[in-house]
Amino acid sequence: MEKTGSVDSLGSKQSSSRHPSVDSLSSSERSTQVKPPSMMSDSATSSEFSPEIRVKPKTTAKNFRDSDKEELQLLPNEVVQDTAQDVTYFCPFTGALCGIVTVSNYRLFFKCTGREPSFVLDLPLGVVSRVEKIGGASSRGDVSYGLVCKDMRNLRFAHKQMDDTLKKSIFEVLMKFAFPVSNGLQIFAFEYGQVFPENGWKVYDAISEYKRQGIPNESWRITKVNDHYELCDTYPSTMAVPVNIPDEELKRVAAFRAKGRIPVLSWIHPESQATVTRCSQPMVGVNGKRSKEDEKYLQAIMDANAQSHKLFIFDARPSVNAAANKMKGGGYESEDAYQNAELVFLDIHNIHVMRESLRKLKDIVYPNIEDSHWLSNLESTHWLEHIKLILAGALRIADKVESGKTSVVVHCSDGWDRTAQLTSLAMLMLDGYYRTIRGFQVLLEKEWLSFGHRFQLRVGHGDKNHTDADRSPVFIQFVDCVWQLTRQFPAAFEFNEYFLVTILDHLYSCLFGTFLCNSEQQRLKEEIPKRTVSLWSYINSQLEEFTNPLYVNFSNHVLFPVVSLRHLELWVGYYIRWNPRMRPQEPVHQRHKELLAKRAELQKRVDELQREVTNRSASSSSERAGSPTRSITPVQTFV
Amino acid sequence: MLTGSKSTFKVRQMGPDIKERMLSQSGMNARSDVLGLPCLPGEVVLQRAVMVRKKLTAREGRGWLSGTLFCTRFRVAFVPQDAPKPDDNADPVLLGDHDVALASIEKVVVVGPNRTKLVTPNSSLKFTPEELVLYCRDLRVICFLFDRLTPDAQVLEITHTIAKTYQPLKPGSVSAFQNAALEMKQFLSNRQRDAHMNWHESAADWERELERCGATGWRVSSVNDRFEMSTSLPRYMAVPQKVLDTELKKIFAHFNDGRIPRWCWRHPRGSDLLRMASFQNNIYHEKDDIRNLEMILFGCHGSLCVVVELGDELPSPPDVQLAHGRLRALCLGDISTSVTVPDDKWLSTLEGTRWLDYTRSCLKKASEVACLLRGGHMTVALQEAEDRDMSCVVSSLVQVMCDPYCRSRHGFQSLLQKEWVTAGHRFYSRSNYHRDNDKEEAPIFLLFLDCVWQLWSQYPSRFQFTDDFLLALHDSAHLPLFSSFLANSQRERCRRTQNVGQCYTPVNGWREPHSPDGAAEPPDPPLPPVWDWSLQYSKRRQAGFTQPVPQTPAPRPLLNGNLNAETDARRASDATPGSVFLFSRGVFSCPANLLPWRGAAGISGVYRKSHRRAPSSESVPGLERLLSVRSLARAPSDPDRDPYRPLLPLLMGPCLGLWRECYHRGALHAQAFSHPLSAEHSHPLELLAREVRGLHRRLTAEGRPSRGADINRNAGNGTFLFSGPPPKAPASPAAAEETPKENANKHTFLFGRAADTRSGRSDSKTSDSDAS
Repeated sequence: MEKTGSVDSLGSKQSSSRHPSVDSLSSSERSTQVKPPSMMSDSATSSEFSPEIRVKPKTTAKNFRDSDKEELQLLPNEVVQDTAQDVTYFCPFTGALCGIVTVSNYRLFFKCTGREPSFVLDLPLGVVSRVEKIGGASSRGDVSYGLVCKDMRNLRFAHKQMDDTLKKSIFEVLMKFAFPVSNGLQIFAFEYGQVFPENGWKVYDAISEYKRQGIPNESWRITKVNDHYELCDTYPSTMAVPVNIPDEELKRVAAFRAKGRIPVLSWIHPESQATVTRCSQPMVGVNGKRSKEDEKYLQAIMDANAQSHKLFIFDARPSVNAAANKMKGGGYESEDAYQNAELVFLDIHNIHVMRESLRKLKDIVYPNIEDSHWLSNLESTHWLEHIKLILAGALRIADKVESGKTSVVVHCSDGWDRTAQLTSLAMLMLDGYYRTIRGFQVLLEKEWLSFGHRFQLRVGHGDKNHTDADRSPVFIQFVDCVWQLTRQFPAAFEFNEYFLVTILDHLYSCLFGTFLCNSEQQRLKEEIPKRTVSLWSYINSQLEEFTNPLYVNFSNHVLFPVVSLRHLELWVGYYIRWNPRMRPQEPVHQRHKELLAKRAELQKRVDELQREVTNRSASSSSERAGSPTRSITPVQTFV
Repeated sequence: MLTGSKSTFKVRQMGPDIKERMLSQSGMNARSDVLGLPCLPGEVVLQRAVMVRKKLTAREGRGWLSGTLFCTRFRVAFVPQDAPKPDDNADPVLLGDHDVALASIEKVVVVGPNRTKLVTPNSSLKFTPEELVLYCRDLRVICFLFDRLTPDAQVLEITHTIAKTYQPLKPGSVSAFQNAALEMKQFLSNRQRDAHMNWHESAADWERELERCGATGWRVSSVNDRFEMSTSLPRYMAVPQKVLDTELKKIFAHFNDGRIPRWCWRHPRGSDLLRMASFQNNIYHEKDDIRNLEMILFGCHGSLCVVVELGDELPSPPDVQLAHGRLRALCLGDISTSVTVPDDKWLSTLEGTRWLDYTRSCLKKASEVACLLRGGHMTVALQEAEDRDMSCVVSSLVQVMCDPYCRSRHGFQSLLQKEWVTAGHRFYSRSNYHRDNDKEEAPIFLLFLDCVWQLWSQYPSRFQFTDDFLLALHDSAHLPLFSSFLANSQRERCRRTQNVGQCYTPVNGWREPHSPDGAAEPPDPPLPPVWDWSLQYSKRRQAGFTQPVPQTPAPRPLLNGNLNAETDARRASDATPGSVFLFSRGVFSCPANLLPWRGAAGISGVYRKSHRRAPSSESVPGLERLLSVRSLARAPSDPDRDPYRPLLPLLMGPCLGLWRECYHRGALHAQAFSHPLSAEHSHPLELLAREVRGLHRRLTAEGRPSRGADINRNAGNGTFLFSGPPPKAPASPAAAEETPKENANKHTFLFGRAADTRSGRSDSKTSDSDAS
């Protein structure tokens, strides 16, 4: 589906991305070239996904390579800004450690001196949410700084009071580079010039993705009405809408939908033609305004599916919240106005509730866990309950489309948070393509990035305003839901847990351009594909790290997860990974890689033997005519 | 020949199939029933219903299976429509894959058009059930759906028959199940014993165990041969070589129920694990006794003994019973009571059962003991008031953590024989099979299995047995059929099977069928041990009990720990000879009255000198350092670095999981939880492996075996696909068959559970593979 020539609105493809010299690099150079950008690439094998403490094996051959990783290795265009000796890092698990801190325009690097095994902390500045100076000067004349991070940890450092009062503390320097946007600097992703063998910006192309789904067809067309983002500035330029609604009418529908986010196609069932469409809330208001065009439009969506004479509208919000939105001009579809439509509220709470829930979760997992009340504490965060409601909503959508053969319309208030969660999860359940590594990237590019999930606002890249009410862990919650699915269907996903963790790490790291900006329009304006590297370039250049060896290609199967709280688990491998006492006991990631190698080897041997059999039976067919022959079915691998 | 007519229960209405039923009463030798149910010797089909569908769990592939439902006096059997014709020559299996023993049924519930009803032996039904739900004691819930074409009479009859047969009418009476089992005595008694495991029943068995552990300085004593010294201890026990039997005899009186310190296991570094009951305090300590008491407690290490008190930190049997009851109620999701815990309270309710707390405390205690044992040069003695509950749990958990042999199936079975069955865990009272001894009931053994499962789920590749095996053991513990579980001590087991020459009155309700000429009666044939798995499980199911594990060379036992180079340990053992420490609540102390004979006034003799000196305070930090391994965050699993490092579980709240495969089997609403196993659908890796084997076989069949010899070399990068060089010229097809078999095992390891994630099962198929 990667069509090099196809031009989507993201702008021209980088011609430099496939640099010819890359292929001629020796393998060792190449591996180092690919590895460094990860915040945790080297530690993934020895301590699973938590890189904080790196234990150096004493006598293994690996030692040699690992020792390099304990030194700061700068990325292309990464520049060291400041270095400070004798800084104390108060590790909540191993106690105070003294060492050297280096701050570059990308990261904070702490190396403990004189300790065996050596201890290294490598923190991309993008994960820093806030830096606070704690207390005044203590008796020893120390100044202490706390770093609150977006990835479920807090770090505390202290160093001696500066003798030279004019010299800035290293943490003042850090603040400047941790919040480049607030300080008029550039996010590091724009400077990072790494070249990868794969070009991630080519992963998603809207036209070919629609084509994969069979669009355009007799009921759905692709419209260019938003080519210049005039209809809706948070939607992509390419959208699929019902055939019989002309562009002019789309504009009138847009007037009735919040932020102009009209119902557009997310997914179509290949057999029943039942569809998942997404939009924002209708602008009903206190007076119960109606729009003939909008009603006609939804009717057209329903008519596009001949299997059913009903349409389900899933409003992700609790009904109370939906009603309250009428005061602000919004609201929900009344069943009087929309004939044959049934409105269902999914009771998923808003971004503020979710933010608060994750904050509570952080409180109970970092740094210490209270064993005796762990489960009730977990319950009191309601985090799993929110996960459950989102999964339950997605399940209902998937069930209606698959079993009920009914088309559904999904919206919340603006249609870029809960709606994105619901549609993308339902699509994961319905379509095996999205459960592959590339398919998942397409899913994120389509449902999240192109349809305008406001990553910049929700994450607050490089912005020091940590109290911003627009920040919310909506995307984390979605990835958590995906992880829950992978737990229940361990063989249905081509990617592994490390893939999901890596995505979340680089959601914050600001190393790649993928999650920058709020909409396709902004990304185009900032020339993100031209000026930054895609996360998918990095991932697709070393797929073996992210591949699930147990994957079986069940592309035609629909996954119906159990959404009871009894079958959901806290994603320990992400939320509690900083705690060294939570490390998995067995190197699962390493073993999975061995499995992949084994599989590839077996495949090779099958091919060899098959060739041999073919050769031999050709030569000896006359003498051994009577011997029973075994039909050989070619076996596919998914490596 | 048949005793079916003896037990008269009225079938309210004789169905039209009465003829068939009579036909089905098979003789002792006839095995195959005309109706398709292979009957056991003496088994009688009481009732059957046709066109029944059984609801399959996610594990079985989900959906429904049509077939015929039978009720015999022994089991509720279900024969699928298209089941393969039973092989008359095959060994009969007591319970087929779809069968339920009547004895494991706890509750029978029927679902009608718009109501559900709990069916008791006396209740009458006013409606025709559409669904029959059997709630089992082992937390399974089995659901049968009647078709509209099932004759109503059959539906009513079978429901009533099951309801009447499954349980005793009054507590303590013999259930129909056991009557049936007794009828099968002949059949059950002629079973072969598994020779691969150590039964710990004879002196030779114990010698073997001492030798396996390299435990020098210990000998097997038969002083309790006639159970005269202690009724609850086994006949043979391992005691220090230095102590003579005559001396030993005087020791018994000093311990509760005569349960003296006995050797359980030796750590490869040389420490010995002992277990004992509490001291009898109101007894006069003679000088000679004291010497022997000291000797038996210190074993062959004169210097250091740590007494680990199990009473105060671990749950009591009533605690365990209460917790398990709550867990059952929470997990079963009973449709007849309609009181289910709302989903949003699930976590706190689970916490409120305290079950996970209790597994944690057992595992914690066992990890501490395992760490202590690494020290070498000491004895660690587990002390519990009765030495029959928690010391079974802790001593066996310690061995599972430290000894790779105990993580193999046979090793685990031997361990359970050693620490539970012969050691006198009161299985019979704790299981309360006949519901006549509620006070004593406590599923200590199930708590132990849960602990083992927790370890298993954290180290899946270090166990040769699988969680399927643990599950089988869990379910078997609910069947009152096995000699392993139907007695409180070895003595009771022996008395049952041997003619002890006196009239035996059963203590706990086990009634032997009355025979008129009791004296002349030959001894009762023994009931089978639980380890006779083929009684319950087909070959296919049993194959799932084990998985190949990578061969790690077993650390050689160090003789007396002399080669021990670790400084911690040496420090610990430098203590003053004769030091005794109490380890309780994570701290070491040396209270004066720890050993009652030492506190007594007027001690004189050889030991006096060492007593006067206070125990060296240096040894305490040494011991504490041993424990610090637990808290140290080390790189996960680096077995090369320290072969003696025990498998220490992570015990933080999020690390302990719920054994869903066991406790959640019954939650009907959640049956979609998926890791289905289906033999038909293979993982691509397996397909590939099969392909390689097939092609290889074909190549050898082509008659050019010289090429086959190259196969290992072809594999490249040092990974050998075949464990040995294939036979140069396969003389027989059997030889050619052998290699692939070995190969298959290897592959199973590669993509089997060995690669599991910490707490989850990564089975190779999704549920949907079965739907297709």
